[in-house]
Amino acid sequence: MSADVLVVIERRGAAPVRAALEATGVARRLAGPSGAGRVTAVLLGTALEASAGTIAGLGVDRVITVSDPRFDTFQTALWAAAVAAIARELSSSVILLAGTNNGRQLAGRIAIRWDAAAVTGIADLSPGAAGEITVTRPVFSGRAFQEVRIGAPRVVLGLRPNAFPIPEASSPPAPIAEHAPLELGPLPSGGAVTGFESAQSGIGPDLSDATVIVSGGRGLKGPENFRLLEELALSLGAAIGASRAVTDSGWRPASFQIGQTGKSVSPQLYIAVGISGAIQHLVGMISSRTIVAINSDPSAPIFKVADYGIAGDLFQIVPALTAEIRRVRGS
Amino acid sequence: MELLVLIKPVPDPDTRLRPNAAGTALDTDGVKWVLTGYDESAVEQALLLKESAPGSRVRAIAFGPAPRTEEILRSALALGCDTATWVEQPSGLVPDPMLSANALSWACQKTPFDLLVVGKQALDDEAGVVGPAVAERLGVADYGPVVDLRWDPAAGKFNLARAVEGGLERITASGPMVVCLQQAWNDPRTAKLQNVLKARRTTIDKVSWAEVQAGVGPAVPGTRLTSFRLPPPRTGAKMIAFKTPEEAAQQLVRLLREEAKTLP
Repeated sequence: MSADVLVVIERRGAAPVRAALEATGVARRLAGPSGAGRVTAVLLGTALEASAGTIAGLGVDRVITVSDPRFDTFQTALWAAAVAAIARELSSSVILLAGTNNGRQLAGRIAIRWDAAAVTGIADLSPGAAGEITVTRPVFSGRAFQEVRIGAPRVVLGLRPNAFPIPEASSPPAPIAEHAPLELGPLPSGGAVTGFESAQSGIGPDLSDATVIVSGGRGLKGPENFRLLEELALSLGAAIGASRAVTDSGWRPASFQIGQTGKSVSPQLYIAVGISGAIQHLVGMISSRTIVAINSDPSAPIFKVADYGIAGDLFQIVPALTAEIRRVRGS
Repeated sequence: MELLVLIKPVPDPDTRLRPNAAGTALDTDGVKWVLTGYDESAVEQALLLKESAPGSRVRAIAFGPAPRTEEILRSALALGCDTATWVEQPSGLVPDPMLSANALSWACQKTPFDLLVVGKQALDDEAGVVGPAVAERLGVADYGPVVDLRWDPAAGKFNLARAVEGGLERITASGPMVVCLQQAWNDPRTAKLQNVLKARRTTIDKVSWAEVQAGVGPAVPGTRLTSFRLPPPRTGAKMIAFKTPEEAAQQLVRLLREEAKTLP
């Protein structure tokens, strides 16, 4: 039996978040080719047209929009109720959530409301026989992997960000239909959003979206030297991260911190510059696909977990690396 | 203010992880179980709020098997929690996170509360479903991952900040509510010896598994662990030999393009 998958599309501004595009590809994989299982993407909020159009061209069978300003802010209870109601209406067997903070927050709530199992943080998955799905998820901060077999008739699946490719564009685009207004019954009222603080300096993508991250540590010797990393990040289209030593010293805001007490990231490429590799940092980046370490101390623990290491003076190596990347990328 | 904090015994972070004989789960032989990580931060945050609103009380609630669950509840009492509830997990039961959420929600609904704090995920299985699932069961709002949480006594509301992609969202909200906390923006305290001794004598309220099942219905986990494995050992970096910085850069870029294939 093929899965009937409902994939929830989160947006930032006018576009779907990268993790939602990844989820759209996974939905197709779970449902099998068109005609076997069915993939429905759902978008909630206002001004959905551009995002709905993008998703319609990514191999889904149909797109449902729920144009309702109540969904312009994220309230878990409200979103969960809406998604569960649509899944019930469509008799979906899988609800797929992107690897975002909101996606993670939704999983448990939807599962209760929809009477389903829930498995989150998925880095790989394969549909098996008899409707079973087997998923692989990193646990213990990436120090181990767990395989979970799901036999429940309904399941909420949450993905890890950057673990899946963005699907190829397909044509013709799937039909887009506006859903009838949702009556959701009484729900707990959420708080009032009083403000938003942008976390990044305006350079490059957000840490959680980035496929390449350039991260700096104490070896940079001072906040002014982060400009070396900014240039490297620009050459790669990378986001900038930092070790705890850097954020504790106030060289960069706390939102830059990667590690146990900061963000966990899993980009395709992680370049650690002047970071010694304390365990507190390693648990936040160990599941990156390729790790590069640049450090003047050849015995730094970061070289034990890196794939490629350069033991040398970062103040010489980083500018040379930026120049070389600009050269090969022709920019 | 009535505060609840949900905690879970997890292996000491220094534990050397090993799969069990069947290769399906962590080998728990010799593992030291502790209150740490997200849960330690959650207890600290509950205690800070208690201190900021005189007359407040904190109850720690945990679901799990003997003796480790009782032990971490005593750790929470020693840190300053006033009361504790242990939801007993029968030996042989392998709970999945949703089952844990159901069991915990049964214990939580026994007493009215203003705020329930819980780590945004457990340090071991990293599921992150318990907080929102309990909130849904109890019919209250939830917020997460929260990186700042304060009580505004004048307004009678909580001011909090939650991480979203691209930044922080500031929210003002009233209880009862569930807050799923990011780890350690606070600095968790350590217990004083006399409080550790006192915590040993405190009565822990118990909720039996039979009561949970009668309350929330029979537990049928829809998931099964089929494998627990360690990643292939990292053998150490391929160190790039070079005479000039330019040479190092060229070699690295070549390796990233041709071997790792991860250069955009």
